Amino acid sequence: MYEIEAINVKKSFGNLEVLKGVSLNVKKGDVIAILGPSGSGKSTFLRSLIDLEEVDEGSIKVCGESLCENGKYVSKKEKNRILSKMGMVFQHFNLFPHLNIKENLMLSPLLNKQASKKEIEELAFETLKTVGLEDKMLAKPSELSGGQKQRVAIARALMRKPEIILFDEPTSALDPELTGEVLSVMSMLAKEGVTMVVVTHEMGFAREVANEIVFMHNGVVLEKGSPEEMFNGAKNEVTKAFLNSVLK
Amino acid sequence: MESSNWVFEMLKQMGPGCLITLKLFVITIVLSIPLGLIVTFLYMSKNKPLSKAIGGFILLMRGTPLLLQMFFVWFALPMIPYVGEYLELKDRFVAGAVAFVLNYAAYFAEIFRGGILAIDKGQYEASKVLGISELNTKIRIVLPQMFRTVLPSVANETIILLKDTALISSLGVADLLNETNKIVNRTTNITAYVLAAILYLVLSYVLSVVFKKLEKKFSF
Ligand SMILES: Nc1ncnc2c1ncn2[C@@H]1O[C@H](COP(=O)(O)OP(=O)(O)OP(=O)(O)O)[C@@H](O)[C@H]1O
Ligand SMILES: [Mg+2]
Repeated sequence: MYEIEAINVKKSFGNLEVLKGVSLNVKKGDVIAILGPSGSGKSTFLRSLIDLEEVDEGSIKVCGESLCENGKYVSKKEKNRILSKMGMVFQHFNLFPHLNIKENLMLSPLLNKQASKKEIEELAFETLKTVGLEDKMLAKPSELSGGQKQRVAIARALMRKPEIILFDEPTSALDPELTGEVLSVMSMLAKEGVTMVVVTHEMGFAREVANEIVFMHNGVVLEKGSPEEMFNGAKNEVTKAFLNSVLK
Repeated sequence: MESSNWVFEMLKQMGPGCLITLKLFVITIVLSIPLGLIVTFLYMSKNKPLSKAIGGFILLMRGTPLLLQMFFVWFALPMIPYVGEYLELKDRFVAGAVAFVLNYAAYFAEIFRGGILAIDKGQYEASKVLGISELNTKIRIVLPQMFRTVLPSVANETIILLKDTALISSLGVADLLNETNKIVNRTTNITAYVLAAILYLVLSYVLSVVFKKLEKKFSF
């Protein structure tokens, strides 16, 4: 069984066809890096997997359960249940600015009655510890650096104990010297076996942490393979040209 | 000594008027802010006819003078055939307050709408992927952020309201301005005007200090 199974997903914004039939299989423990030039549909595809975009055609299954089949979505209740297995981390963190870090982490588990308040509080502390920010429990997001904010965002996603975490350019909004701390948290999660799909421009991360590289171009998956295959011997000329340009 | 007694006497005469002004102010704030919030949500709802109707209400309230609205509530409503007799408000103060609440609800609604539109769409997306329901998103994410954003505009509007309350004297309600006028007519000097100005000024100042405190408290 796949953790995520996307089959022939199509999506248009008005007349612009952004996804022209994208398929992707994600196995448990996979770390998949999606690469590709700007506008190729990476974000749109990732967002479709977690229902932030509604696809026009194709099917999406999460842990064997259909989110949508041939463009037809399941009921809202079903959706919520299926989507609770996924978390997402955004480029711009999207922390809740009016809540402190602890409250940011606890809000969703509390509202969803995931556990008792005390247990959720303990979980928040433990989770913040894994991203090295347990001393920031009471800080407001505005008091943190970009790298710290993104680590909090990752911790917030972990609070729901998701099977899969999606990342959309998690380090693109950060100063170069702050990307390392976020990437190392992600590497740690990868080692722990968390399934991840990561849209990224970080070639180092893609090469060292991902076990599969997916190259998107113009709304299709042009080529995919292991990091060695892709970085050392991409077959497609467009892939090669893109990888050469970003590796330089 | 003589003259300070005389000023004190005058202030005492202005007291009841001042209370009426404050009463109108408090009633308007307490009712028009929640009403404005409801108006905003109805205006922003996906129900087109409802949204249009609310849009019409906002246009009417903001596009016509408050003074006219007050006269309308007081004089015109009772004249509407059949329903008029039930609409007649026996009390001038109540008539004025009704107009104030409706008028300010429209202004607050537009301020709140601006505050909601200013919220980054990433907030809704984060909330959604965390499995937070739409209602809880409104209550726990949208409203608190909206309130923070609109505080300066609400402060401004509140100070305008404090001064606008003087309009109710045109309905013959014995508010601060009306009472002051009576004193000036009786004493044939303008001391009472100066005192009234000082009273309004002190109240405005207190308001602005309170709002500055609130802004600090809720900053993020
Ligand atoms: N909500 C939207 N409405 C209209 N067009 C959109 C919308 N979202 C994305 N697009 C368009 O879809 C195309 C693909 O966008 P997408 O964000 O998926 O690309 P991307 O591969 O993530 O690019 P980048 O690397 O710049 O983030 C772009 O042409 C974009 O302008
Ligand atoms: Mg993108």
